[in-house]
Parts: sequence; C-alpha cells; structure tokens
Amino acid sequence: MQRTGVFVCWCGTNIGAVVDISRVVEAVSKFPGVVFATDYKYMCSEPGQETIIQAVREHRLNRVVVASCSPRLHEATFRKTLSRAGLNPYLLEMANIREQCAWVHQKEPEKATQKAIELIRRAVSKVNKLEPLYESTIPITKRALVIGGGIAGLQAALDIADAGYQVVLVEREPTIGGKMAMLDKTFPTLDCSA
Amino acid sequence: MVAAAQHPNITLFTYAEVEKVEGYIGNFQVTIRQKARSVDHSKCTGCGTCWEKCPTKVVSEYNLGLGMRKAIYISFPQAVPNKPVIDRQHCRQFTKGKCGVCQKVCPAQAIDYQQEDQLIKEQVGAIVVATGYDLFEWERAYGEYGYGRYPDVISGLQFERLNNASGPTGGKILRPSDGKEPKTVVFIKCVGSRDAVKGKEYCSRTCCMYTAKHAHQVLEKIPDSRVYVFYMDIRTPGKAYEEFYLRTVHEGARYIRGRVSKIYPEGDQLVVMGVDTLLGRQVEIAADLVVLATAMVPSREANKLARVVGISTDQNGFFMESHPKLRPVETNTAGVFLAGACQGPKDIPDTVAQASAASAKVCALFSRNEMAVDPMIAQVNSALCSGCLECKNVCPYRAIEKATVSERVGGKVIERTVASVNTGLCQGCGACTVACRAGAINLKGFTNEQLLAEVDALCL
Repeated sequence: MQRTGVFVCWCGTNIGAVVDISRVVEAVSKFPGVVFATDYKYMCSEPGQETIIQAVREHRLNRVVVASCSPRLHEATFRKTLSRAGLNPYLLEMANIREQCAWVHQKEPEKATQKAIELIRRAVSKVNKLEPLYESTIPITKRALVIGGGIAGLQAALDIADAGYQVVLVEREPTIGGKMAMLDKTFPTLDCSA
Repeated sequence: MVAAAQHPNITLFTYAEVEKVEGYIGNFQVTIRQKARSVDHSKCTGCGTCWEKCPTKVVSEYNLGLGMRKAIYISFPQAVPNKPVIDRQHCRQFTKGKCGVCQKVCPAQAIDYQQEDQLIKEQVGAIVVATGYDLFEWERAYGEYGYGRYPDVISGLQFERLNNASGPTGGKILRPSDGKEPKTVVFIKCVGSRDAVKGKEYCSRTCCMYTAKHAHQVLEKIPDSRVYVFYMDIRTPGKAYEEFYLRTVHEGARYIRGRVSKIYPEGDQLVVMGVDTLLGRQVEIAADLVVLATAMVPSREANKLARVVGISTDQNGFFMESHPKLRPVETNTAGVFLAGACQGPKDIPDTVAQASAASAKVCALFSRNEMAVDPMIAQVNSALCSGCLECKNVCPYRAIEKATVSERVGGKVIERTVASVNTGLCQGCGACTVACRAGAINLKGFTNEQLLAEVDALCL
C-alpha cells in the first residue's frame, strides 16, 4: 500500500510568482496513493526538510515526491532528507516545476499551473512503482594521475603529494612548467614565474 | 617546477602522453606512452656537450619562433628535467641516416638512437586533468593585422619570451625584424576574444591584466618609450587588479578605446590605423612593435584526450565541469577532476585556486578506503537475455561483459551466453536498456514498468 507525500516548493518567487501553488497542492492531493500534500517557501532549507521529515512520521509516508527545481541541483539533498526520516533514499521522485515549468512559462501562469500539476502527476505515478535500492561499495586505489605539467597540474600534484598520497604526473612536452614557465613576471605582484 | 620534480611522492613522466584510460572511480588503469627521447636519462648528466656540438638548428617552439634550438635540445636553460631529447623530425641521424655527433661527444654514453616508445601501465584512483590552453591562431583570421606576414606584429606570449631573462634576447625587448629597441609599442586587446565573427564569443579574462603588465614593462625597460593600448573594455575583476591597471596608466600608457582596422608597413615602421571611439576620431600611430592580446583556446588535442579520459567538452572545446557553480572542478565522469585553463580561460591566481580545489576533492576521495556507488545502474534479467550482446556494442563505458549461465532444459544442462553488467563501470546512462530487444535489461530506478507508469500518467 503506497502512502505518498507531495511537497511543492515555491523556490521563493522562482516558482511561486508564476505557478498557483495552492491550486497545485489541492489538485495533487487527489492523485492515487497521495495521502498528504503541502507547500513551503524553500523546501531545501532546514525548516523545509523538517516539514518532510515530520510529515513522513505523522502520516506514515513511504514514498515522497518533491516538486521543485531540477534533480541535478537538489536530488542528493532530498535523498538525505529521506534517510533522516527513516526511509530508503531511493523512494524519492522529483518533479521539475522550476526549470521545465515556471522559468520557461513565466508569461503564461495559467498554463504553467496546469503543467505543474501534470508534471507532478507523472512523478506520483512513478514514485508509486519505485522499489528501495541499496548502495554497494568499491575499493579505492589511493594514487592519483595528473595530466599536464603546467601551473595547474603542478599545483594539484604538489597538494595531493603533500597530503601523503602518490601522484603520477604526465607531461606531453620534454619539460614541465607549461605556459607559465614561458612567462616573464606575473601580475599583479610581478613575481617571477619559475 | 623543481619542487614537483624532487617530491618523493611524485613520479614524473615528461615527453609522455596518456594513451588509454580504463576502469572507474577508485580503480582506473592508465596506459602512458613514454615517447622515445633517444637519450638515456638514467645515464645523462645534463652537461650540455651534445646540444653545443649538434650541427642542426631548428626554430624553437618554446621561443615561439623567435629563436633557434638544436635537434638535440632542452627547451630552456632551467628546464625540468634538465636533460635533452632528440627531435627525430629534424635530427640528421634520423632524417639522413648519418651524423652521430652527439653520440660521439657524449661523455656518459647516454645517446641511444635505437630507443623506442614505451608503454607504461599505472593503477590510480583519481585523475586530475590540467592540460591548459593554447593561443588562438590570429594569423588565419586577422588579415587587417597582416596574417602574420609582418615580423614585428607578435602575440603577447611572444612578448613574454622577449621579456624573459632566459628567452631569445636575454630579457631585452627587441624587435624580431632587426633587433632594434622599439620606441613606440602598440598593444591591441581582444584579438580573437569577444569576436563572434572571426574568433570566439567569450572574454579570455587574462588579457586586460597581462597587457597592463606588458605596457608597464615597456615603460620600465625602454627610456622615452611610448605605449598605446587599443581596448574595447577594461576588465580588472580581481584583488589588486584595478590598482595595477591604474598604475600602468599613471606611468604613461595611453589607453585608446576602439578597434584597429588596419596595420601596414611604412619604412621600418608599422602604421596602425584605428579609431578612438571616446573622442570620435580616427587615430594613426607609427609603431615599432605591435603586440596582440590573442584569445585563449583549448590546448591542441584536448578533444582527443577528452575521448580517452571520457569527459565532455563545451561548444568551444573546453572541458565541461559538472555544474558551473556548485561542482566547478568535477566532471560528469566520477573520479575525474579539472584544474586550470582546460576548463575555461583563467589567470594564474584562479588556476592555482582551482588546482587546490581539485586536489582537495582527490584527497577527500582518498581519505576513505571504499566508497558507496550509485545503485541506479543497469541490471540484466538473464532468464530473458538472448545473448545477442547488442547492449555491449552501445555501452559507452565498456561496462557490459559476456557471461555464461548453466541452465537445465528438458533434463539436460546447457550453457548459454548472456550479458552481465560490471557494477563499477556502469554509470546508469540507460543506453543498453533501449538497445535490448528482449527487454531483458532494466535500469534500476528507471525500469520499463516505472517509465511506462509515467507515460500512462501523462497520456491517458
């Protein structure tokens, strides 16, 4: 039995100024499996995440949909929130109502509101089918390869080496130093570049 | 440079290229091609007899055509390592089959004409890509500046070589054409930068500052010199940068806001025709030397390396960071990090900061003995898999391997080929799931059933 919670984010005015959030919350609370829906000004903030955790406990939620920004930005954030709430972090689905809705339909608030509802409909039906997933672990070879022996590569290699790890530094040319060694003095301090 | 060469934790391969990268975060297998130097560096003492006696002179790449080197050479006197290589393209022993002078004079018997490229395998857990930049080839695009025909129209990097105490003129600013000291020097900024038609749309970020430095150096080194700088805008967003630029202005550099439309020779000078858009007047300057602030572009063969390491590039060929604000040193390939101008035009302070950030990411990774991997990867249902291995062909991460399963069919045990996913290599892109005609591969978290539920929700 899926008990899904939907959390709609305003992202300040990013979403809130375009999409009619209260209509969205009302519409999505009727979707199959949804037992709780609410909104908050910044869902990624500490009080926003706390809202999710409280709701999971209070309403015994076992699936979470966050309708906010692109998952590229905050999927990892909300996965951690689910873990803190005691849920498997992969029982989360995000609906991108910012980049793919509010931002691109700023001049059409009515249609944007409709689209937000549809995007959340999609997320809800997917979240209902999700299964818990578990991370596995892989070993780490504590040795780094740095490609390029200019100032960037040298600095990176020295920092890693100073931390006590082995570094393999590969330079295409017969000498290291790259472009910087070709320079005379360097701005703004006029130090030498060697 | 010396600190890196002497560091006990750093193994240095110069004159070498990364040829192949296999594996995944924490577990990369790297093949490095050590190009044949034709000099045994374990014997060579760097005494310099060979390059003194070598009869073949070649235009020096390191001095950007402003000087000569020998066919057996070190790039500059303080080079690290301070031991030579033979340029086989020009060495007479290789082009004509006879010479052998360096071998005869070498007191350490270090010259080895038979030396071959070596392939070296290394195991690493993380990769930092720091391949830097090259300069935009203005000679191909800017006919109004002479297409590179006038020897006294040079790039900013060539000007650096003239200024450098180890450079072709020993640090004196002298004209390439006749070796005279220039009295009037014109600098032109944004050559190839901020020029969507002939060059690149972006700002190269460093030119305003190094041109201010160059102007300062001319005024400092050449008494009674006159310096003119043609600019579009002055961009000095850095600590102590604006102050540095103003100092150059107060030293007497004349900044002219406008572009140069033509450069042509007259006598032993160059006439620079441009416009001063603040005064609304045409300007003509008789110059002895013209220095172009050319755009930074990705290092040559950056594209090839991007394919070898498995990183993406942006529309200008610079390596792509994972997120421009929040993940500026990571790439979309886990365990591969970026440092410096290979990611975009950058000055030295920013490069050093980014390199330290990349190394902090590497050290954070190395601080653990093992790491968790994203479970959203492909999974084969071997009962459905027909063993066609079409998935193996489409996998960009070489994560699918051939496996054998034993099955009991009608009382007999038979062996059957199926696909199998290497969980370390799989990045969860989903290409295999689309290629699989039997529907035997699912991406965890994006199974066919889950995706169809989404489609149904939107379409029904």
